[in-house]
Amino acid sequence: MTDAELIARTRAGDSDAFGALVTRYYPACWRFAVHMLGDRTDAEDALQEAFLRAYLAIGRYDERDQFRGWLFRILTNQCRNALTSRGRRVRRFINDEDAIGQAPAPLSELFGDVDHAALSHALSQLDASQREAVLLKYAEGLEYTEMTAMTGAGESALKMRVKRGIDRLRSLLEPPRG
Amino acid sequence: MADRDPLPLVPAEADDPALVARLTALYAATPLPPEGQAEQCARAVLARAMHQPVRAADGVPRIRWWWGAAAAAILVLGVRITTTRDRTGVPAPATATPELAGTVTPTRAGLRFEIQLPDAAQQVALVGDFNGWSASATPMVRRGPQGGWAAEIPLTPGRHEYAFVVDGRRWVIDPLAPQVPDAGFGPSNAVVVEGGSE
Repeated sequence: MTDAELIARTRAGDSDAFGALVTRYYPACWRFAVHMLGDRTDAEDALQEAFLRAYLAIGRYDERDQFRGWLFRILTNQCRNALTSRGRRVRRFINDEDAIGQAPAPLSELFGDVDHAALSHALSQLDASQREAVLLKYAEGLEYTEMTAMTGAGESALKMRVKRGIDRLRSLLEPPRG
Repeated sequence: MADRDPLPLVPAEADDPALVARLTALYAATPLPPEGQAEQCARAVLARAMHQPVRAADGVPRIRWWWGAAAAAILVLGVRITTTRDRTGVPAPATATPELAGTVTPTRAGLRFEIQLPDAAQQVALVGDFNGWSASATPMVRRGPQGGWAAEIPLTPGRHEYAFVVDGRRWVIDPLAPQVPDAGFGPSNAVVVEGGSE
C-alpha cells in the first residue's frame, strides 16, 4: 500500500494504517535520531514524540510533499528539543553517581567495526547543529533547499555547518602525530 | 556563534568523498531498533492520542500541548493569560477539523507571514524579536472568510523568532514550521532572512 493510501486511511480513523506508516518509517527515523542524540533511550522517546505529533497533525499534511520529508521536519524539531532537555537534565544530575552509573553504553560500542565505532564517536563530538547538517546532507542525502525548509537555517549557514562538521570529523579521525 | 562566517562567501561543499563514503557506510550499519519497538511505538502513540484534549461539540477550539508553555512565555513578559482545558471525548485524527498552519514567503517589501486558524478569531497579531514581542505592533489582516490572516513586514537579514497572538490572549505557533527549542520561555518559530550571517 502506498504512503498516500495509508495516510488517507489514517485520516479516516484506521489505526492499523497508522501502525503501518510507523513500521515503514521507524528504522529510518531511528537511524537519524540515534546518531543525532547518541543515546538509544533518548532516540526512542524522540521517535514516540515525533510520531505522536505526526498523527495529531496528519490532517495538515500536504500530499504534494514527500511524507518522509514532512516526518523528518517534525523529527528534527524533536531531536533539538531532546538535546535542550538533556542539557538541563545533565546539569541537574551531573553529580549524581547513580545516574552516571546507570547511563547506557556509548553508541560507538554498538559497532563491531573499529572504523564505524571511531566515526560514531567522532560524530558525537560535533556541535549539535553541525551533526544535524552533516547527517541530513550526507546520511539522508538531502538537498540544501530541503534542509533549509526542514531546519529553518539559511542555505549558506547550512553549507558552513556541513563544511565545518566534515573538517572537524577529519581532524578527530586523524591519527595522532609523533 | 559557531556558524558565523566572517567572509560573505558561500563555502565550497565538503570535498572529502572518502569520509562521506565512511559516513554513508556507518549510517547503513546502524543497528536496527529491537524487534517490536516500532509496533510498540505505534500503540503508545495511539494510546496517548486518546488522551489528547479535543475540540468540543460547540466549537470551542482544541487545546494544544504548547499552550501551557506559551502561557509561561507570556508570564515572563509580564502579561497574564489564562487557558481552559476541555478533556471530553476522544480525538479523531486531525482531519476532523480544519487545523492551524502557517507559511512565510519572501516578497519585494520583506516577508509575508500567513496563518490559517481553525476558529473564528477576531484579531491576530504577529509578534517576534523584531517588534519586541508586542501584540499591538504588527496586527495581521484577515484574508477571506476561511480563517486566513496575513501580515507583511520588512526584516533585517539574520535569524528571527516569531509567534502569533490570537485575540490578544492566545499565543500560538505553527507546529510544522521550524521551531526554536523550548529554552524555558515557551516555543516559537524561526525564520532566516538571507543576506547576512545567521
